[in-house]
Amino acid sequence: MTAVEQHNFGLHCREVSHWFGDNKVLFDLNLKVDAGQFVALVGPSGCGKSTLLRAILGTDLPQEGEILTLQNGRLANADRPGRDRGIVYQKYSLYPFLTALDNVALGLKLDQTTTMFRWFNWSGWAKKQKEFRDRAAVFLDKVGLGQAMHLYPSQMSGGMQQRVAIAQALIMEPEIILLDEPFGALDEATREELQEMLLQFYEENKEAMAEGKKPPYTLIIVTHELNEAIRVGDRLVGLSQYWDWKVDGHQRSPGATVVYDKPAPVFRSDERPDYEMFADIRHEIRQVVYNPEVLQQRDEHVNLSPTR
Amino acid sequence: MLLLLVGYTWVSHRQHQVNPDDTTIPSWSQMYKGVEKFIQPDQKEERWIVEDSIATGRRLFFGLGLGVVFGFTIGMMMGCITPIEAFLQPPISLLAKVPQTAALAVYFVFFGTGMEMYVAMIAFGIIPALAVTVYLAIKDLPSEMLDKAYTLGASHFEVATEVVFKQVLPKFIDAVRLAIGPAIVFLIAAEMVVGDVGFGYRIRLQFKLTNMNVVYPYLVMLAFFGFALDYCLRFLQAKLCPWYQRDSK
Ligand SMILES: Nc1ncnc2c1ncn2[C@@H]1O[C@H](COP(=O)(O)OP(=O)(O)OP(=O)(O)O)[C@@H](O)[C@H]1O
Ligand SMILES: [Mg+2]
Repeated sequence: MTAVEQHNFGLHCREVSHWFGDNKVLFDLNLKVDAGQFVALVGPSGCGKSTLLRAILGTDLPQEGEILTLQNGRLANADRPGRDRGIVYQKYSLYPFLTALDNVALGLKLDQTTTMFRWFNWSGWAKKQKEFRDRAAVFLDKVGLGQAMHLYPSQMSGGMQQRVAIAQALIMEPEIILLDEPFGALDEATREELQEMLLQFYEENKEAMAEGKKPPYTLIIVTHELNEAIRVGDRLVGLSQYWDWKVDGHQRSPGATVVYDKPAPVFRSDERPDYEMFADIRHEIRQVVYNPEVLQQRDEHVNLSPTR
Repeated sequence: MLLLLVGYTWVSHRQHQVNPDDTTIPSWSQMYKGVEKFIQPDQKEERWIVEDSIATGRRLFFGLGLGVVFGFTIGMMMGCITPIEAFLQPPISLLAKVPQTAALAVYFVFFGTGMEMYVAMIAFGIIPALAVTVYLAIKDLPSEMLDKAYTLGASHFEVATEVVFKQVLPKFIDAVRLAIGPAIVFLIAAEMVVGDVGFGYRIRLQFKLTNMNVVYPYLVMLAFFGFALDYCLRFLQAKLCPWYQRDSK
């Protein structure tokens, strides 16, 4: 792998298939994510979005195919959860026994110091801890929680908790961050605030790229809201079991695969999109991804040409 | 509490009108004499209260200490290390069901009647329950929490110390609070049977002499002692785990 390729690499799922007994879930799924991309993943309920994320995370390995990430500068199989991939859940998003600040600083601590160091080099650890907390504090400020640093998760609202959870994952700058319906339990107004927050990080990506650096944040966000997908993602990926598998000679549905993959409009974080303008995108996705009646070739709406 | 005192006074007063020499429900002045008896030095220049407190306290302290350390360690190992789980889970679950007072005889046989016996009895008595509590609390942790720790760069050992340990600690303290009651029961029972000093021994002896004016204050002191220990643990829990709220899951 050349340095240029490394610079752009985010994630590569190759020919991934997965099933639970008779239940075929994922079929021959290919997905390549570039560094800096915000991929919005949509699909009918039960099509296997969470299954795919768990496969990428390495907790539920795919039956076939491979999932590659950059681990310590080398391409490697994502066969167990590791520091190169971050995760934001909808539930269990934070450690209840840590304050917001320590939740965000936790990754720095686990990644950059060892147990031996913390237990036996007290003064060194005290200094490091302060440094980590300072960095976490800056990050929390950035996500608008400067005032809430010393609260425990149980003392925070759902929206605040998700902000902290996102900060906790992002501060590590992993190769890719997986978000499984992170705003699913939040009300509309809070959702929008959090979407804006994510877009601020997208802007940091653009700045980094303008300076020729590797963009720090790459993510896949699963959502049920098409408008959210359009707003947050710079790329829309539709996963669906509704495609014309009969032409491939299958007797029954072999599972869901990528049936839609196109660039999405990009917005500034302070810009509230006029969703009216995207009725045709939504319509297309509803037909191609969600409609069991509409069965098309699976690559008909997959635009693999470079997105930028 | 006040009602209890007033009620007692009344009952004991009635009893003494019937029989002035009654010692089963001693009057307050008799009670005072009883208290004097165990606070003042006896013929051997020993104060019962001091002797008994030291004996019982030491037995309980070492028994509980050993039980807490081993119970927690075994529970953590069962929860975190799969081969150990497979190996220990059946026997520990079974041991947790053996009534400790019934097993007293076994301890006498193996450990004699000295300090070791009391310590072993208390420790073995509480280890299964504590270990099972820790083990179940670990199994109860959502796997998402552990997986996330790995994504944040934790090693297996760090998942155990930084996530599992901290999450389980308050539940463990709760379990220790619950175990103190049984531990005192085992100890007093054993002291009653084979002790030559200690709260259990004193209570049995004085009860045989129907010196209830000694027995009652001893019982009150025992209750008070258990209460104080419980309070300390609750304080410790609040200090170590300020995030912990029992009502929320
Ligand atoms: N651990 C499991 N064991 C057996 N079947 C499973 C397991 N996890 C998921 N499945 C099955 O895999 C399929 C896909 O589930 P998954 O949770 O990935 O869907 P999803 O796209 O995330 O749905 P939703 O949008 O509702 O979250 C479902 O049919 C589900 O029943
Ligand atoms: Mg899901």
